[in-house]
Amino acid sequence: MSWFNRFRGNASLPSTPDSAQQDFAGDAAERLKKWESALLHHHLPDFVKHRLAEAGNGKLPWIATMTPVELAQTHRYRVRPIAMVSGTCWYHFGYSWTNGHINGWHTALQRMKQEAVAAGANAIIDVRMRKIELEVESSMDFTVIGTAIRIEDMPPNPEPVVATVSALEFMRLLEAGIVPTGIAIGAHYEWLTNWQGSLMPLDARGGWLNQPLTTLGNFWERVRKKALSELRQDVHKYGNGALAHIHFGELLKVEDDNNPRYLGRHIVIATVTDGERYRSVPHDIRHVVDMCDGPSPLIKPRPSTHNVYDTNQEEGSI
Amino acid sequence: MAIPQHALERLKGLRSEGHPGGIFTSDFSVNEFLLVRKAGFEPVGLCVGSCIYHLGIQYASWSQNQEMSVLSQAMYHARELAMSRMRAEAEGMGADGIVGVELTVKRMEWDDKILEFIAIGTGVVHAKGHPGYKGHNGKPFTSDLSGQDFWTLLQSGYRPLEMVMGSCVYHVAHQGMFKSLGNIGSNTELTNFSQALYDAREIAMERMQHEAIAVKAEGVVGVDLHEGSHNWQPHIIEFFAVGTAVTPITTERDASTIPDPQLVLSVNN
Repeated sequence: MSWFNRFRGNASLPSTPDSAQQDFAGDAAERLKKWESALLHHHLPDFVKHRLAEAGNGKLPWIATMTPVELAQTHRYRVRPIAMVSGTCWYHFGYSWTNGHINGWHTALQRMKQEAVAAGANAIIDVRMRKIELEVESSMDFTVIGTAIRIEDMPPNPEPVVATVSALEFMRLLEAGIVPTGIAIGAHYEWLTNWQGSLMPLDARGGWLNQPLTTLGNFWERVRKKALSELRQDVHKYGNGALAHIHFGELLKVEDDNNPRYLGRHIVIATVTDGERYRSVPHDIRHVVDMCDGPSPLIKPRPSTHNVYDTNQEEGSI
Repeated sequence: MAIPQHALERLKGLRSEGHPGGIFTSDFSVNEFLLVRKAGFEPVGLCVGSCIYHLGIQYASWSQNQEMSVLSQAMYHARELAMSRMRAEAEGMGADGIVGVELTVKRMEWDDKILEFIAIGTGVVHAKGHPGYKGHNGKPFTSDLSGQDFWTLLQSGYRPLEMVMGSCVYHVAHQGMFKSLGNIGSNTELTNFSQALYDAREIAMERMQHEAIAVKAEGVVGVDLHEGSHNWQPHIIEFFAVGTAVTPITTERDASTIPDPQLVLSVNN
């Protein structure tokens, strides 16, 4: 009953978190210095590397976000979780909030990948994207957290694949010959200004009539198309498909001196996939009816795992 | 079941080069993606159409049930524009159709007379180039069915033709002071309200049905009837009917050849 003894306070614990820190990195000031130099030189502090390497070779217990069902499934395919890895980038927006998102996310992703490499992983799955908006002016925290995995008998991947999908979906995709390989981002913003009064009719004309607003509409369409074409370019680096689950668009009106300007911005975030085309699922699909009461775990029409933005899908009834 | 070689190589870090099929974009979930492929289709790209629309003005008599035809037309016209732009984009990328279409309406913060209508879905092509899955008049079909429902629909021997819709914006009469007083203390149906809601729904559904007739559909599946008020004045409500018009693939598949679904009790919740 050793756990019980701990409550009584007379058991000596093998190691406390404090002593673990001491083992790896010395005192707090030294740790801070190590973090600083690591971020500056784009590498990891040695105590982090050490911990991840130990987890990778099985000397430390593995950590995973997987559920028992997912664990069973991955075990079947000889996939082993190693450690939770993460990357953070607190980013200050200079000239553009919209483009800042690209840099912030990409830096965080790069840092997470470094951790996975240190652990000798083949892939990072179940990656969640988080953003924290503290009241620090024009800046935002971009964080990605995922579970690094190792596939048995496979050499570590120097460029581990990043998948936002859960372990279950990851295995399902692999089985169909599709590999989720990363996260791609497309973002674009543009201003529509009242140039030589050409916009005036836009506001004035409205009045009594039903009509599409063409200037504004075309502008908005252009913003979105550019964001989507940027997404395609980003996808091109890792694979041949994008499951774009996050769309964030805003059209804002700024009025200074009775002179309206419009800001349109659009951000798309997608899971990149790489797979052979025209190759279908190799086995039959069985048609089942779930007999569970309440919300069924079999029905999950839209993924909710990396929902960092309020999508415009929810806004307004149809 | 094993992991295919291609996927294993990718996980080893060997980049597969050259993608003859190009890059596709889609907002499918993983399950939708797999089932659309299982149904014999490949995603080609995200198709988006939008329309920023200024709603005209119409006044309704305070005490009268009546359709706000100016608004009905606006809501219908704007959605139609968004849909046709989406369809044009699909045609441009050579898609046979669009599945998983979502239609949303967004109010602009700076002017409540301006609404944005968005239609977004994934353009798909038949993997073997079968020409028989196009929509009405050889145009890409459109459907608001999810990937899963699309697979199931084809399994049951039908194919989607076109998303059909009907809209009706209606003003529900206020009750006069005298009438309201008369109701105090008695249980009674407010027939003018019942009538108004009935009438509005009926008009929306009828319009949708007319669209289905126009594309020579056998029926409409997955119909949803939305009621929304889009921040209009009180007592004004929109009824919006939307569904996917379908037609048998060749002849209707005999019901006995459709496999019985299996019943499962899932343990993971």
